[in-house]
Amino acid sequence: MTDKTNETPKLSHNETIKTNSRFLRGTLAEGLGEVASGAISEDDQQLIKFHGIYLQDDRDLRPERAKRKLDKAYSFMARLRVPGGVLSREQYLAMDKLSDDRGNQTLRITTRQSIQFHGVIKTNLRPALRQIDSVLLDTIAACGDVNRNVMCTPNEFAGRAYAQAEQTARDISTHLLPQSGAWREIFINNEKVTEALEAEPIYGATYLPRKFKIAVAVPPQNDVDVFAHDLSYIAIVENGDVVGYNVLIGGGMGATHGDAETFPRVGEVIGFCTKESAVAVAEAVVTTQRDYGNRMNRRRARLKYTIADLGLDFIVREVNARLKVKLEPARDYKFAGNGDRMGWHTSEDGRHHLTLFVENGRVANVGAWQLKAALKQIAETLDVAFILTPNQNIIVAKADDAARAKIEKILADHGVTLRGSVLREAAIACVALPTCALALTDAERYLPSLITKLDALLAEHGLDQQPITVRMTGCPNGCARPYLAEIGFVGRNPGRYNLHLGGNVDGSRLNRLYREDADEETILATLAPLFADYAQTRQNGEGFGDFVIRQGIV
Amino acid sequence: MSKLIALPHTAPFAPEQIAALDQVIGAASVVQRAWLAGFLAGLDAAEGKQPSVPAATGPKPKLLVLYATESGNSEALAAKAKQEAAKLGFAVRVQDVADIDVQSLKDAGTIIAIIATWGDGEPPQRAAPFFRALMGEAAPRLDGVKFAVLALGDSSYAQFCESGRQVDARFEALGATRAAARIDLDLDYEAGAKTWLTTTLETLAPADAGSVIHVDFHKPATEAASKSAPFAAEITAHHKLTSERAESETVHVELSLAGSGITYEPGDAIGLVPENDPALVAAVMREAGLGDDAALRETLTTSYDISTLTAKQLLNYAALTGDAQLAALAEDEAKRTEFLAGRQWTDLLETFPHQLGGAEFTALLRPLAPRYYSVASSQKLVGEEAHLTVARLAYSSAGRARLGVASGMITDRLREGGSAKIFVRPNPHFRLPQSAATPVIMIGAGTGVAPYRGFLQELEATGAGTSAWAIFGHRHFLYDFLYQLEIQDWLKSGVLGRLDLASSRDQPEKRYVQHVLWEQRQELRRRLDDGATLYLCGDAKHMARDVDATLTRILADGRDESAGQAALDALISAGRYKKDVY
Ligand code: SRM
Ligand SMILES: Cc1cc2nc3c(=O)[nH]c(=O)nc-3n(C[C@H](O)[C@H](O)[C@H](O)COP(=O)(O)OP(=O)(O)OC[C@H]3O[C@@H](n4cnc5c(N)ncnc54)[C@H](O)[C@@H]3O)c2cc1C
Ligand SMILES: Cc1cc2nc3c(=O)[nH]c(=O)nc-3n(C[C@H](O)[C@H](O)[C@H](O)COP(=O)(O)O)c2cc1C
Ligand code: SF4
Repeated sequence: MTDKTNETPKLSHNETIKTNSRFLRGTLAEGLGEVASGAISEDDQQLIKFHGIYLQDDRDLRPERAKRKLDKAYSFMARLRVPGGVLSREQYLAMDKLSDDRGNQTLRITTRQSIQFHGVIKTNLRPALRQIDSVLLDTIAACGDVNRNVMCTPNEFAGRAYAQAEQTARDISTHLLPQSGAWREIFINNEKVTEALEAEPIYGATYLPRKFKIAVAVPPQNDVDVFAHDLSYIAIVENGDVVGYNVLIGGGMGATHGDAETFPRVGEVIGFCTKESAVAVAEAVVTTQRDYGNRMNRRRARLKYTIADLGLDFIVREVNARLKVKLEPARDYKFAGNGDRMGWHTSEDGRHHLTLFVENGRVANVGAWQLKAALKQIAETLDVAFILTPNQNIIVAKADDAARAKIEKILADHGVTLRGSVLREAAIACVALPTCALALTDAERYLPSLITKLDALLAEHGLDQQPITVRMTGCPNGCARPYLAEIGFVGRNPGRYNLHLGGNVDGSRLNRLYREDADEETILATLAPLFADYAQTRQNGEGFGDFVIRQGIV
Repeated sequence: MSKLIALPHTAPFAPEQIAALDQVIGAASVVQRAWLAGFLAGLDAAEGKQPSVPAATGPKPKLLVLYATESGNSEALAAKAKQEAAKLGFAVRVQDVADIDVQSLKDAGTIIAIIATWGDGEPPQRAAPFFRALMGEAAPRLDGVKFAVLALGDSSYAQFCESGRQVDARFEALGATRAAARIDLDLDYEAGAKTWLTTTLETLAPADAGSVIHVDFHKPATEAASKSAPFAAEITAHHKLTSERAESETVHVELSLAGSGITYEPGDAIGLVPENDPALVAAVMREAGLGDDAALRETLTTSYDISTLTAKQLLNYAALTGDAQLAALAEDEAKRTEFLAGRQWTDLLETFPHQLGGAEFTALLRPLAPRYYSVASSQKLVGEEAHLTVARLAYSSAGRARLGVASGMITDRLREGGSAKIFVRPNPHFRLPQSAATPVIMIGAGTGVAPYRGFLQELEATGAGTSAWAIFGHRHFLYDFLYQLEIQDWLKSGVLGRLDLASSRDQPEKRYVQHVLWEQRQELRRRLDDGATLYLCGDAKHMARDVDATLTRILADGRDESAGQAALDALISAGRYKKDVY
């Protein structure tokens, strides 16, 4: 929140920070050496994001601190770069241990198929990153004004097309990785490499105007929500192989309350590219945004605003101009839904894959519910892989028959049920309080209890088996992609949410604001009659989102 | 009435001059003193000088610093405002609007309100009730009240500093007069806040208040408190230093010495005369069948140690009660020690109940001893105050939860506005070096940092320092880092040259101050070669032992242990290794 919104044609402060950062070094090394404070300088807080790390403070503790002569309860959040969310069992185990040794004893699966570690205090930051490095993972570019973790529909062990899409995701991730050696220099080796100033071939010295996000979907799933990202690929599969991708650009969720200049936007299909040219397309779109994106006002610096300001045609022309192989006309595609396929699935090779429900992505041990311990035991004892899903769940992949039985036993022994209610399984919430600096209210900590109440309401009308996507965020930034949900809750004030209705099943339509600043009572009172109406008058197979639109409710 | 007068030791005279003046002024009559005052003032006036030390004036002007905070910025500023204002001679009170009754604003005198905005132009959550009350009809008229508002915000929000604006407008609407224009500050508020506070306070400050020295002339120093005649000091501040998440609790206590004539030096300890927990007294009286004689309850509460149980007491109790079973146990050395382990009087009375007379019982008991607490302040900075840093001792033994007599009283029962019976126990062996040039190395863990807060305040006041090196230990950086914010300021201002920390429970492996010493052994040797004085304070059982062992190894520097021991002893006898461990 250091950047100001103002229309003066002055470069945003972050641009100066990047320019002077010697390729993302700043004074990070010095800052980590200052023991009296858990924090780092304001400018370094911006830089450290490029290394996949955020400075946060425990907002639950804020009221007590100053009075007790204690500084804010600062700690770092570190986010993995793991394209498509695929982890080997060894890697998963290392992450599990890391969260116990250096974090807050939980793993947080994110909506971009990554893992976040919260509560890593300054003295633990380097050891934590070394633990990550030791299993050939990193946090480079997991945040910052660069390409973020590349998403991909799981799972590569379930079929050729999936494996090929995952490969594209990895290739793009690697190609767009910043070349600066700062991450290794500062966090792993902790010694200055003699100032060999690397160039950033793709990004240049000031990187992108803002974060950039890429996703790859394999229909019929749109689990990665292709319409929500700066750049997306829809795999076109012909007899089991990916032949190429439809390309979408200009999606994005984030907005700011009371600022009409900012808005969520769904991406638009601009053509088709062969799978060989997918990486080239990524570079073309990224460099176009690099050259034309708004560097004055960070609130309008995403590609979606560049398109809104300069026009889609202009951008597409720019992109094609940068391509040897031009985009072809888009191909047909069809999406079934934007949720995960929950439960067990068996691929042609006879292997079993369990998409395990993880409420709001929080892997932890709470009382009799020992999910974290269970996954640990599975990783220790069975030959499986782990895949983090776009809806904050985890897939235990490539289990043989024997392993499948053992997995079910281990989960049962740890009080973990495979499934939640239909509504709960599809619901996601962002992290919000207490760690998120931007949260206006709770999300992850509140949604579960609200779901229980909504389930009760739905049951009254016999709707408890009807899939409805519910998504909640603690502020309008949209980290759980709430504007694509059939029912979206967007945090406004403590305990109060803007209620959005009318997203559709495949996540291609933005929902609309229906009630502002509603507390729980208002939320339930508002939805009750709509559910009743829906139960009575919905058409055959009509989703709740489509229903409220057809009825002109929103 | 010719009462003995004592000029404070801090008076700008040599001791013998003070003595002389005490004699003259002490014997002088009211009239004589009045004449003398006029004469001195006239003298200065004639020579066109500002009187540098005007006689003590009447009550200080009242200033109320209000703050509304979510994340503590406003609160921190309020604290700064207090310091500033106190220097200018105000009687300052700092109040979170969350804890104030709007009605009380009527007679607040002058108000400085530091207000943050949250949500979408909302007040901070805890401040909401205050805002409702202030905006409502029931709000009092504020005629005669002066005010100035400092608003904190973030200009990236639509409603920048909204809450500050509201308070500013409302105060005026209620009839208060605006002493200075409101200032709206962004996230980079520090500099702006500092200048605004200084200028605003100066415009509000009473004419010569700046130089007024408030001295209590009525309490002769000869009556300064002692163990037998402790001084009942008012508790002017009492709050936790550790987080709610901390595994054990430590509190900060500020005691007013006003009128006591008590003075101390950093490094001294404050003796505190505790009282027993009324609940424990009641339990013991019940178990000993002592009925509830008020007088007896009083003496048991204030004068006797009703917790600690000794072997001698066990034998005496057996003899007194003629309890054969107990006698058997008491006389068998092994059985006795086993029984005594972790047990207290209440356990004995419970397992071997006997009807006792009050006198019989008290005859068995030991007197209630005072407890000592390192003074955590310097009078050069806090004047007639003494600060303590007290850890709550709670443990369970012999199947019972126990609470330390004194620390439990201080943390659980004493509160701001109450009082504690205290006296000073000078500790000339734990003082800062004579010469400001001597580098100091301060090693402490837990409440062992308390005296160093006194040292650092002293260094701040005298402008010495910068070469000071602190090596502090705690359990969790986030929850038990005592005085973190003050230490950060001392590092910034250079009063503290260097800080190293050991958090024992923040990582898989335990890390204590002696580990830091070992890692930094080169630096340590270097500073000792430069003539540094080494200080160690805190837990005697573990920390002191391990630190000594490590220091021995470091000083041995490769040679055998005895060499290191010799070097350490040399430091001690040269007065360059000072310990205050308990
Ligand atoms: C963990 C995660 C939500 C979750 O519960 O899973 C998350 C958490 C945060 N997001 Fe997000 N975002 C996450 C996915 C998203 C998504 C969804 C997506 O990418 O598919 C979006 C909407 C899509 C988009 O970018 O438009 C999203 C839009 C934002 C924004 C608004 C960006 C914008 O340009 O409008 C911010 C605020 C900002 O960047 O200034 C933000 C900022 C944040 C920060 C880092 C808050 C901050 O900047 O201080 C949050 C950290 C909270 C915490 O304590 O962990 N996050 N964030 C997701 C991590 C994904 C990852 O692994 O990389
Ligand atoms: C010079 C000096 C300076 C000091 N400075 C400070 C200071 O700055 N801050 C501070 O907090 N304290 C300080 N202390 C310690 C303080 O004086 C008291 O000893 C402490 O507060 C405990 O006193 P109490 O009355 O609360 O506990 P008591 O009622 O006296 O209980 C203490 C006794 O309980 C028993 N006990 C304690 N723990 C256990 C256990 N786990 N199991 C079984 N039995 C146990 C032991 O017999 C111990 O002697 C200092 C002491 C000295 C001598
Ligand atoms: C979630 C959030 C919401 C905020 N809303 C506003 C706002 O609406 N208007 C404003 O001027 N400042 C707003 N701020 C900025 C704070 O007022 C600013 O950080 C201030 O320094 C906090 O002071 P405090 O620590 O005393 O609460 C907001 C900050 C956060 C983190
Ligand atoms: S949506 Fe807002 S509250 Fe939730 S994690 Fe993202 S930034 Fe934080």
